[in-house]
Amino acid sequence: MNRRLPVYLLIDTSYSMEGEALEAVQNGLDSLVTALRRDPHALETAYLSVIEFNSTAQQLEELKELTEFQVPTLKTNGMTSMGEALEVLVECVEREVLSSGRRDWRPIAFLFTDGMATDDLKKGIAALKKIKMGMFVACAAGPGAQIDDLKKITEAIVKLDEADSNSIAAFFKWVSSSISVSSQQVDAGKETNGFGELPPPPPEVNIIDLSKH
Amino acid sequence: MAETKTVQTSDGEIITYYDEIIGSGGMKDVYFSTDGKKAVAFFRDPVDKIGLERLEMITGLYRKGIFEKEHGEYWKTLFCWPESVIFDGKRHGVVLPIYDKHFFFEYGSINDDFLGIKGGEKEGKWFAAPTNRFTRLDPRERGDWRIFLRLCLIISRATRRMHAAGLAHSDLSYKNVLISPSTGHACMIDVDGLVVPGKYPPDVVGTPDFIAPEVIATTHLDKNDPNRILPSRHTDRHALAVLIYQYLLLRHPLRGRKIHDIDDPSNDETLAMGEKALFIEHPSDKSNRTDTSVARASDKKWLDTGTMPYTIAGPYLSKLFEMAFIEGLHNPNKRPTADEWESALIKTVDLIQPCENKDCVGKWYAFDNSNKPICPFCSTPYKGELPIINLYSDRSGKGKFMPDNHRLMIYKDQSIFPWHIDRNIIPNEKLNTKDSSRIGYCIFHKKQWVFVNEKLNNMFNYTNQNDIKKIDIGQSIILEDGVRILVKNRNSSRLLLLQMVR
Repeated sequence: MNRRLPVYLLIDTSYSMEGEALEAVQNGLDSLVTALRRDPHALETAYLSVIEFNSTAQQLEELKELTEFQVPTLKTNGMTSMGEALEVLVECVEREVLSSGRRDWRPIAFLFTDGMATDDLKKGIAALKKIKMGMFVACAAGPGAQIDDLKKITEAIVKLDEADSNSIAAFFKWVSSSISVSSQQVDAGKETNGFGELPPPPPEVNIIDLSKH
Repeated sequence: MAETKTVQTSDGEIITYYDEIIGSGGMKDVYFSTDGKKAVAFFRDPVDKIGLERLEMITGLYRKGIFEKEHGEYWKTLFCWPESVIFDGKRHGVVLPIYDKHFFFEYGSINDDFLGIKGGEKEGKWFAAPTNRFTRLDPRERGDWRIFLRLCLIISRATRRMHAAGLAHSDLSYKNVLISPSTGHACMIDVDGLVVPGKYPPDVVGTPDFIAPEVIATTHLDKNDPNRILPSRHTDRHALAVLIYQYLLLRHPLRGRKIHDIDDPSNDETLAMGEKALFIEHPSDKSNRTDTSVARASDKKWLDTGTMPYTIAGPYLSKLFEMAFIEGLHNPNKRPTADEWESALIKTVDLIQPCENKDCVGKWYAFDNSNKPICPFCSTPYKGELPIINLYSDRSGKGKFMPDNHRLMIYKDQSIFPWHIDRNIIPNEKLNTKDSSRIGYCIFHKKQWVFVNEKLNNMFNYTNQNDIKKIDIGQSIILEDGVRILVKNRNSSRLLLLQMVR
């Protein structure tokens, strides 16, 4: 049986994202889906979902195959409920992956934020420990992004120096090639945590070396 | 337009190319030459001394051995073979022929190309699963079952040629073979990783879905561990079998319902493709049958091995599937060779009949050796009389005819070729122009099947041995049950025995 590769995109839509950043993320999502639809491996394997977090966290688009997936329209609102976003992720994975009766690959997640958690991150991290994820990449976009928060969630962190449209576009391009590569490599039993098998990120996207933090 | 750069090949030739990456593979960045005829590919990682020596051999000795000898022109259409080694001061690379235009999508996907793939490369993966092939690609891109037999034949032949040269591909998969079902072309690409057994070891273990079980089962060992098994001609044979099974039956031969590790999908995969690999259609061990309950609706039919078993591919290919996935799965010496696949495919091409349903996705299917053939792809039964020619040869010249285990289905406009009337002629690269055109054809005329002789001076109606009649050029013979046609060749005679299925 072909396994699905569930991919969850967790997007910060707090007020600070208003303007160029939000527009760039919206465009980034569009390009990501367009690029993945041109990849026959991803079309067969990758399933996509979007979870947004602001004053609360909610799943905007359920886990769907690429041809069914509709890019949601993002709107900014309030605070940065990153902890709740993790809880929503866990709830989605349990419902959409673990109880599907299928033998899927472990889900992978990309979290994008330009700020810091304004809710109880610990609760979210505790929830995350209940499930086994594949790769979890967190992206700290711009100078306001709090790397210390992200370090508590994952070891795979990338940083954009500026949350501008170029950097954000580069990040989403890298995410789409990472999903493309993962949808092929997982079949080899090469599921990895961290960045092991991912393509090298573009210059705008810096990998944070945690040994130096 | 991008700026141009030049680079010198190791033969001293200067190549000018546009300094703009047009594509990136796993290991290479690719540019176009300014004359539009070549691709210039640089390796991103440094190439070591051994690697460089290998590239020199592939572009030198091995290339000349295949392309600068007899039938060399033929092989040029089947391979995208690196022509020379280049070095720009920092990076090593190779110069390659560009892909022919039929390897780029002309129409792309349905609904006015909703996937936006028009102009993109026809990577084999597009055609290897039912959902992509039948629900996403434009119908004009899909090809039919006969075309896929032909594509498998070309791929087997190219593999056979490489193996005959002492090389192993080491990464044969639907990523490294471009196919064009709309035109019937196939071409092997990315051959710069070729393995010369004993001399140049492989760089990669292969592509998921195609890696042989013994390679997967030993990937945890060090590269120099004597028990570690690396890609070779034996593992190419596994990959070739998977590729053919996948193209003709649109499912993977080892992906069934059996779970080896419920907690860890990664380990489950390693076991299912490696040490514990089991054919989904194993005759006695049924524990790895497919599970259609969780499949996409558009994949379900093809995953149902009960209604679409591998035997729909006909007896010659069935035998090889059994050798590859039952006897040879964990016993590399028992896997069919590329040569055996090629012969079986040639015979299977003669064993197919057209489906009468215009909307059938297969359009052609292998004769099931029954009195009431039914298309396995759309369940449309064949109507009317079905003539079949069974081939026999007199190999000793003493009039003793032995079966050739080869039969030819007769349908409207079916052509008879020289290889049907002479067992010493084989339709492969050695076929000369004279032997590549038909010598006769069959039509249904006035409610009878008729064979028309167009070229042969040595054809006889041998039905009644006491009254042997010559069939002259331009003459025809009515095809009825029991009719025998004899063709006398220089070295051996062939008898065509007609059998009518009603």
